[in-house]
Amino acid sequence: MPSGPNFAHGSEAELARIFDFYQVRWVYEPRTFPILWNLDGVVVESFSPDFYLPDFELYLELTTLKQTLVRKKNRKLRRLRELYPDLRIKLFYAKDFKALLLKYGRIDVAASLTGLEGQARPGEPLPARPGEPLPARPSAEALALRAERLAATARAAAVPVPTGEIPATTIPAPTATSRVARGRGSRRRRNRRLAASLPARPA
Amino acid sequence: MDRARHPDLVNDVDEVLITEEQIRAKVAELGAMLSRDYEGRTVVLVSVLKGSLPFMADLMRAISIPAQIDLMEVSSYGGTATETSGLVRILKDLSSSIDGRDVLIVEDIIDTGLTLNYLLRYLRGKNPRSLRICALLDKPARRLVEISIDYRGFTIPDKFVVGYGLDYGELYRNLPFIAVLKPEVYSAS
Repeated sequence: MPSGPNFAHGSEAELARIFDFYQVRWVYEPRTFPILWNLDGVVVESFSPDFYLPDFELYLELTTLKQTLVRKKNRKLRRLRELYPDLRIKLFYAKDFKALLLKYGRIDVAASLTGLEGQARPGEPLPARPGEPLPARPSAEALALRAERLAATARAAAVPVPTGEIPATTIPAPTATSRVARGRGSRRRRNRRLAASLPARPA
Repeated sequence: MDRARHPDLVNDVDEVLITEEQIRAKVAELGAMLSRDYEGRTVVLVSVLKGSLPFMADLMRAISIPAQIDLMEVSSYGGTATETSGLVRILKDLSSSIDGRDVLIVEDIIDTGLTLNYLLRYLRGKNPRSLRICALLDKPARRLVEISIDYRGFTIPDKFVVGYGLDYGELYRNLPFIAVLKPEVYSAS
């Protein structure tokens, strides 16, 4: 079982502890799946599920953002399922995670492990480790830093993943559908900018 | 649970999801199925404490074939601060060998499947002739690991339920029906 991955969110760390407790083997973000290519075949959007449970051949994506903010993730998940129909993946929402904490009598730490509160911050430990006090509410400066970090994360999401992470057998050739950049002109313009800066798709 | 708040078994219930009569009918139905499927054999019913106790007590009396019972208890995540950082433990093991026996795990509810997944691996290691699962309640929306349920009572919606053995903060187990608690019961915690 791997130890000490840098979890992006406190909820992921808590879920990993739950898996460890019940001796369920897990791997954190082991694979990145390309889900959108531009007209030059360059990956412009990808999806990295949070967990893989090898004993069940199941990927698990944990999103503890507010329900209204998960639309983008749902869209990416639909796209992933279209492109990789044999992939077994489950999306675990904030309400699911809170229900899990309620079940284990840890609903008291739910607020600190969901949404922005649970986001890992540079130089700060993840909150709500069992038996430890919850961290103080973040300052305005910390919130601004976090917003900046989230924006950087969003920008980084469009960067192609290392080719070594993706078995060639699972990368579908860009189809007519996948080549069509969804959305309006702004996304196509963004894709063109990205295409100019990114390496070509592996053969 | 907030010690200042006194639980009220009747008024804390928001909705009765499964009535006492529905439970009784389902247990009889499951008992008949098990009696038919295990005919000519002696089944070992293994109940997982504490939530499964009422179901086990009713189910064993609804079975018309020879049956033995045994009890197990498994630690739960979050029970104490030390348990959240440790590993699941068998708090009470089987009192008899199940080597070569037909074993039926009797569970109150299967949601994440984590406890049962552990238990299945543990019991398979004891070489039973067969190992099946009978669950009164199945909450598939919460499933994290795949579990194949052989005998299922009710599939329930994604709600936190108590009663008929199921607890919230070790309370409400003695309700004779399956119920959903009022949200303020949780928010008081």
